[in-house]
Amino acid sequence: MKQLDIPEWLTDNDNYIPKADKDTFINKSILSVFKVISRIKMQDFSQSQSFVHVSLKVFFTFVLLLLLSITRSFVFVIIVNVYLLSVLSLINAESLVKILKMSLGVTLFTAIIMLPAILWGNYYSCVMITSKIFATVTSIGILSHTTRWNDITSALRRFRIPGIFILILDITIKYMYLLGNLTLNMLYALKLRSVGKNKNKYTSMAGIAGSIFLQSKEMAEDMYHAMECRGFTGEYPIYNKSKFKWVDYLYIIMNIGFIILFFYFAKI
Amino acid sequence: MVIRMIEIKDVYFSYSDSLALNNINLSINKGEAIALMGANGCGKSTLLKLINGIISPDKGHFRFNDEEITYKKLQDSKFSKLLHQKIGFVFQNSDTQLFCSTVFDEIAFGPRQMGMSESEVEERVKDCLDLLNILELKNRTPYHLSGGEKRKVAIASVLSMNPEVLVLDEPMNGLDPKTQRWLVDFLNKLNKAGKTLITSTHNLELVHELSSRSVLFDENHAIVADMKTEELLENIELLKKVNLVDQYYHYHGNKEHRHFHDHN
Repeated sequence: MKQLDIPEWLTDNDNYIPKADKDTFINKSILSVFKVISRIKMQDFSQSQSFVHVSLKVFFTFVLLLLLSITRSFVFVIIVNVYLLSVLSLINAESLVKILKMSLGVTLFTAIIMLPAILWGNYYSCVMITSKIFATVTSIGILSHTTRWNDITSALRRFRIPGIFILILDITIKYMYLLGNLTLNMLYALKLRSVGKNKNKYTSMAGIAGSIFLQSKEMAEDMYHAMECRGFTGEYPIYNKSKFKWVDYLYIIMNIGFIILFFYFAKI
Repeated sequence: MVIRMIEIKDVYFSYSDSLALNNINLSINKGEAIALMGANGCGKSTLLKLINGIISPDKGHFRFNDEEITYKKLQDSKFSKLLHQKIGFVFQNSDTQLFCSTVFDEIAFGPRQMGMSESEVEERVKDCLDLLNILELKNRTPYHLSGGEKRKVAIASVLSMNPEVLVLDEPMNGLDPKTQRWLVDFLNKLNKAGKTLITSTHNLELVHELSSRSVLFDENHAIVADMKTEELLENIELLKKVNLVDQYYHYHGNKEHRHFHDHN
């Protein structure tokens, strides 16, 4: 292979003074992709093993959500809220703050939406709905912050959810991370090469989106071939060897208690 | 005269809870060619990101051309653009660096932003295409090129901005031996022309040709050696200690002997 001489401009330094340009869009994109990747990565590093069996946790969280949505008893909602706040007090401070931020934010938004009802004097519905929303968001927050996503997907297998659905969920999480990393690096490259005034910012972003699409297509094809080579026939078995402990039985009793309370307050 | 270009002092950096740079002290002079070596995940790429102003240290100081580079300064668009023009970064995965529709546009991306006239841009692009021997790729789509061609286009796209420092993250990865050899010769030529080169690499066979000085990271993300590359390569015990090489025994004919290999 031939190599030519280094051109003269490359041996001298450019006397370049950049012009100001708005690149908030790139910076914000970098930040948002980084947040998603960090969230997925943190799940992997999470040392906190779930206290109770994940299948039970997923099942009873959905039961609790169902009970909350159909109950007409304010006392029941308050009892659930007190229980959820006690659970919150047991988890680590970082997750606690994140869950509370989310639940309080959504509750506040709901309260604003419900303002006209207060003005019309319908206080009961307003307080009831906002309390229900707080409990719902908090319970989902506790589930997602104290359980790893791959544990949740494997728990779904116990509920006879088709393997192909769980496979798609698992692959989605994997590709969110892989493509997220790729996007992040492409945005970094764009930022590093944006050394002046870029008149075609959106063209560059479209280029990044196109390149990610092509690479994701290639990754999907490679994965399909790899699965075929490994004898994939559409079955996606998940082996979960974890057994029930005494805490799990306690958890079952407590949740049955909630179901009894639901019917008790429904009768009053 | 020796001019200190990059100075990194007592630098620490962490990603969430995991430490990536542990008390890093390093200075690089203008026109030097330096290699960063270490096992996977030891912090080489993080240090390269720090030098390029993608991240800023949690603790410690980073100076470029006697100017302190801080998070606050990097938020200033003009300042960070000038830093990015002076320090060019070639990513490990060339695909992440190529986002334009043709090779020509890819290489012209930097010079066009620098406010050059279209004739100047064309001249620069042509010089870069000639220099990297990829003139025939001018109108091709970067995505459809081979690994070696993509790497050449990625280097050309950075060179066209005429950076003072060229930072390369694992430039030999995924290249065939002929292209690797070509790249070593090319980088040496750039270095002789006055460019400062910082290369992270695992390639123990070519590192002594790439750089006269090497910095070795251990698995605690700290620098454990900063010496001449030849000397470092002879210190097999140290290379073994940082898990960069392994020692094994095998036979060639009837003769038993041992030699080291790297963990690529």
